[in-house]
Formats: sequence, structure tokens, C-alpha cells
Amino acid sequence: MDIEEKEIAFLTVPFGPQHPASGHFHALMKVDGETVLELEPHPGYLHRGFEKLMEYRIHPQNCVLADRLDILDPFPCELGYVNAVEKIAGLEVPKRGRYIRIIMTELGRILSHITWIGVLSMVLGFDSANKIAWGDREKIIRLNEMATGGRIYPCYLCVGGARRDISQEFVDETSKALDYLEGQLSFYDYFVFKNETFVMRMEKVGRMTAEEAIDLGATGPNLRACGVDYDVRKDEPYEVYPEVEFNVITREEGDAYARSLCRRGEIAESISIVRQLLNNLPDGAFRIELSPVWAAPEGECYFCLEAARGEKCFHMVSDGSPFPYRVKVRPPSLSHSLVQFPYLVKGNTIADVPAIYWSLDPGPADVDR
Amino acid sequence: MMISDIESDLKSKFPDSLLNVVSEDRRISLLVKKEELHQILSQLKDIGFNHFSDVTAVDYIADKEFELIYHLWSHREKIRAIVKVRIPREAPTVKSVFDLWTGAQIHEREDHELFGINFEGNPNLSPLFLEDWEEIPPFRKDFDTRKYVKEKYYSGEEGYPVAKG
Repeated sequence: MDIEEKEIAFLTVPFGPQHPASGHFHALMKVDGETVLELEPHPGYLHRGFEKLMEYRIHPQNCVLADRLDILDPFPCELGYVNAVEKIAGLEVPKRGRYIRIIMTELGRILSHITWIGVLSMVLGFDSANKIAWGDREKIIRLNEMATGGRIYPCYLCVGGARRDISQEFVDETSKALDYLEGQLSFYDYFVFKNETFVMRMEKVGRMTAEEAIDLGATGPNLRACGVDYDVRKDEPYEVYPEVEFNVITREEGDAYARSLCRRGEIAESISIVRQLLNNLPDGAFRIELSPVWAAPEGECYFCLEAARGEKCFHMVSDGSPFPYRVKVRPPSLSHSLVQFPYLVKGNTIADVPAIYWSLDPGPADVDR
Repeated sequence: MMISDIESDLKSKFPDSLLNVVSEDRRISLLVKKEELHQILSQLKDIGFNHFSDVTAVDYIADKEFELIYHLWSHREKIRAIVKVRIPREAPTVKSVFDLWTGAQIHEREDHELFGINFEGNPNLSPLFLEDWEEIPPFRKDFDTRKYVKEKYYSGEEGYPVAKG
């Protein structure tokens, strides 16, 4: 039989949007056998148009909306929103309020990173680590509940400070939880990060150089894993970060394993930051009392902060009414999941796609807003 | 390179296009003319602003203008540059900066979808978040989200909305 020359037809395989594997994120992969030739992302499953909805609402309502910008990491979203308003109005938040805010934000960073350990382990087929990580995550969720009343969505920060004060009981419980999590870190080292299978799946996978990462708009641990020490907490310090000591964790390799180790290192740094803040927690007022329909003066502000996933920026325009005229959020995940992810999977096998995706730690809610 | 150096460098190269310059500690804000926007951004990239953080659009409907705000960061100098440009609302077209920063493509695509701003030279401006959208771009000020939701998804008496379908 003659073998006819045929045009090669490539198969198109979907990635997502089933929740446990990719979050609410869908992508189409063009594959040649096992190799991914091209990946086309299709976001939008979680697009709720918060930036527009915020234009119809007053600031206390918007703090509740801001939570939902990134489900797994809500505190930086609230912190960014209230800081943008305070910058426009020139408000000075009491010192205790600032301390409480950063304690909660850093606990949120630990929460986000531990959840990430769980999800990454799960997509690698390593379900034991997933279950253990989600159990440890519960420790911080209980602290959230104790301080704020909410487990996942705290709705805690408000313009002028925080909604409630933290109690001595919370301080004690947090110290206990931090001691426990610090012990768990060495367990994760042994169980996950030095696990032979984990290392083989992650090392030299999804590698990018510092130049590539900068050109593609990477920030946060993904950029620091390429050797660039960009951390907004150090480079444009906000709130009480000038008063605490911490290191910016960088790695040189730029692969999925380096990104994982960066996040692991950040958990330890965040534990140290929270301890420092708890030890020096000042007394006094924790917020300025403002009327709910308080209006910020006319003005404009661009405020950047370091969220768990990277550089998160709020651009706010106020026209002097109780409603913001325009709010724009620069989500870190937008470039991670829609720019770097398609770039990095090219030429890799299908089995590496989830590993690369979760090594970048994108949040679909953060992408779509 | 200090902020004052950047300011004098830009002022000597683009004397006619810089409408306003505000220097703060580690931040420089520029208001520029649309004609030389691409050249100014290109010059900023050459002097070290290698991270394209964001491009934001603001709809100033009373002035019949959009304001585009480019946010850049220099990893070497640790300085943020904010470049603002006003474009007419009727013909919102600017040159894409995709050729300078690959990461800018997705931000421009988002602004194209939500504000209808046309970025000339951007290779992909297809819809990003919205599906089968036929109205005017939804983040414009003349698009009323509440009215749209009421008409599209609810029927029934005023105050007692009943979900359709």
C-alpha cells in the first residue's frame, strides 16, 4: 500500500476549566503527540467587573468587594484599596492599626503559600501533601475567623484602620500557630521540597531567564526565582515594613523548582515578620472613626504593594463624591497566567503543563476580577 | 541615574511634547502629547524602565477624552515612571507598545475590550473576558451596569425582580 503524503493534523486538547486542576481557567493546547506546540488561554470564567461595580458603591462597601478580587489572598486587595483612598485623603492611620493590618496581610501570605503547596502537590499526583497542606491552612483560617469573623473573606480592613481590634487571646493563638507552622516547614522540606519525585518533576521545567521574565511582566516569587530582587515591600516601602527586618528571597535558576523554593522561603520570612510585629504591638487607637458616607477629596493615586502572587497595584481616581470615579487593579496573575504560562509550556510535554501552571501560582479570580 | 537626570534628559529630547512633569521621591509623573507618546516610552525603556507594570484607562466623559496611564518600573534604578496621555473619546487610537515590552500586549487587549481603545500594532485584540458582547464597551462611563442587568436578567414589577430563565 502506498503511503500518501498527508497534511499533519494536530490535536487540540483543553486544559481546564475544571476547578481542582486549573481553577476557573481554560486553555486550548495544540499538541503534536505528547509535545505542546501552542497554548491559547481563555480566561473570563470569573469576570465580575469589580472595577466597574466599585464605581457605584461607597468605600465601606468596596472593601467588601475588594476581598473577592483574589479569593486565596484577600488581605492585600483590601490593603491596596484602603491605602489608595487614604493616600488621596492624606489620612494618617494610628500605629496600632498599621501593625494589625500587616500582621493580617503577612498571615494571608502564609495562607496563600500553604494553599499553593497543597494545590501544586495535588496536580503532581501527590495527594498526601495536598491533604496535609490544607489541614495546616486551617490553622490560619481559624486565626482569620478569630480576628475578623470571616474565614475566607475577612472584610476586615477599612478606610482609617481595621474594623475590629485584636485581642490578647488572638496574639497568643497566633504565636502558637506560628510555632506549629515553623515546625511544619521542616516537615515540608523533607516531605515535599526534597522529595525525589517532586524535584524530578520541577527541576529544569518551565525555565526563564531574568530578561525574559522582565519582558513578560513577571513579578513576585516568579521574578525573584530568576535572580531579580524586586519586592515592593523593600523597594517602595508602605505601612510598617520599614520597621521590620526581613530578607528578600531570590534564586538564580528560574525554573519551577526555584519558584517553589522562593515561596517556601517566603513563608519563613513572613513568620518572622509577624513575630516581630506581635512583639512590638503598640497600644492605642486602631482606627480613625469616619462616617460611612465619608467622601474622599478630589485626587488621584497609584499605590503598589507586594501580594503573595506579586506586584498588585491600585490606581484610583476620586472626584470628591463618596464613590470612587475609577478604580483599576493591576493583578499579578494576569501576566503570569496569560503571558508567561503560554510562553513556558511551548515545547514541554502535556504532563508538565499543570506543574508549570501551578509553579507560577496564578489565581483565576485575580486574572479576571 | 537620578530622577532629575531623567527629567532633564526627557526635556532636552522632547521639548514640545512634555506638558507637565512632577517629580517625587522615587517617582516621576509625566503628562505628554499623544503624537510623541511612543517615542517617549521608547526613550524611557532605553534609560532602564524595563518592567511594564500596567496601562490604565480613565473615561473623562465630561472632557470627551480618555486618559491612558502607563506605569513603568526600573529594576536597576528602583524608580517608577507614570506617563499620562489624553486621547479624544471619538477616535481613541494610540500606537501599541508591544514592540517595546512583550508583557504590555495583554494589558492593551484588556483596555481594548473594556474601553474600546484601539492599539495600533497590537497583534491580538480579540475579546478577553466577555463572551458574545454586543453593547458598547462596558467600562465606559456612558454604560449603565445597573440598567443593563435589570433589563437583561430580570423581569417583573419594580422592586420585585424575577430572574429570567
